[in-house]
Amino acid sequence: MADPRKTFGDLLRATRVAKGHSLRKFAEMADMSPTYLSQVEQGKVERAPTAERVRTVAELLGQNADEWIALAGRVADDLTDIIKNEPQAMPALLRAVKGLTADELRELTEQIRDQQKDGGKE
Amino acid sequence: MKRRVAVRQYKVPFLPEKRIEDQAELLLAEWAESHLAVSEPPVPIEDILELHLELAFIVADLQTELGHRDVLGGIWFGDRMIKVDQSLDPSIAPKLLGRYRFTLAHEVGHWRLHRQHLMDDPSAKSLFEANCEPAFVQRSGANPPEEIQANAFAACALMPRQLVYDAWSQWRDSDKPVAISDLPVGDYHADRQANEKMAMDQFSKPLAERFEVSAQAMRYRLQKLELLVKKVQPRLF
Repeated sequence: MADPRKTFGDLLRATRVAKGHSLRKFAEMADMSPTYLSQVEQGKVERAPTAERVRTVAELLGQNADEWIALAGRVADDLTDIIKNEPQAMPALLRAVKGLTADELRELTEQIRDQQKDGGKE
Repeated sequence: MKRRVAVRQYKVPFLPEKRIEDQAELLLAEWAESHLAVSEPPVPIEDILELHLELAFIVADLQTELGHRDVLGGIWFGDRMIKVDQSLDPSIAPKLLGRYRFTLAHEVGHWRLHRQHLMDDPSAKSLFEANCEPAFVQRSGANPPEEIQANAFAACALMPRQLVYDAWSQWRDSDKPVAISDLPVGDYHADRQANEKMAMDQFSKPLAERFEVSAQAMRYRLQKLELLVKKVQPRLF
């Protein structure tokens, strides 16, 4: 779990260096300019990088993309679509599970996945 | 009105070239110890800066930040931070890769050659606090002694003597120097010297590309190492 006190830029820079990538090399891998990557690392961009971009960066560094997207202040595109497709039921579900611990949420997710598997067998 | 950061000029002691070269070699030896020996060019100066010296490295609009249009790079001792101006970003201007790397190596030169000296200087105390002013700012065309020293360090670090000798013999198939008089000197400028420089830069290009430095920087280094000479001295044996 990432340190919540750290900004996304700090975390990105620290993880990049820990993985042994220089600024220019990593910028090249992530298909961005060193100037832009430097701005992101300092939190000096006018708009946070897109969810897709954060996903690329997180995956290149072997990190959890969803967590990093949230840290960067973005919502993954598929989540936006999920809510849009069920505009009443989905927000209601999210509000209902709000307040559960991470472990409880994981357990619930497992239960739902099991149910879906069973449902698929019929 | 635009902010202009006045950079105080700190005096640094005279350093013989040999000492500067030793310092650059020492840094490469440390890198070999902590990571991997550099057995062929290019020297991974960007990795050395971030992974070995553990300095923060930033590419930014330094010219606006410091209010001078000719700023290339700067170093902040207190924040352990080196910045390079975004005009040198090689992803936008690939031809500037050599200058980008040289600017960065130049700032590393300040870190290795001048930091300790300023730490001992009570009047420079503020340079070692957080959110400090830059200790040195590199501007094109300006060359006080500390900048010349940092340039010499950058040249030795990016083009280490032995690597240049090896690359030279591989390329030329001989370790013999080349005389300027043997190069095709054109007639583009009014003065002969400028034409010679052009011919030497052109000649230095293949090696410059291998070392990821500018042709000009390679030409200086080849002259310094006496591989590119005015006149080939006859050998006794």
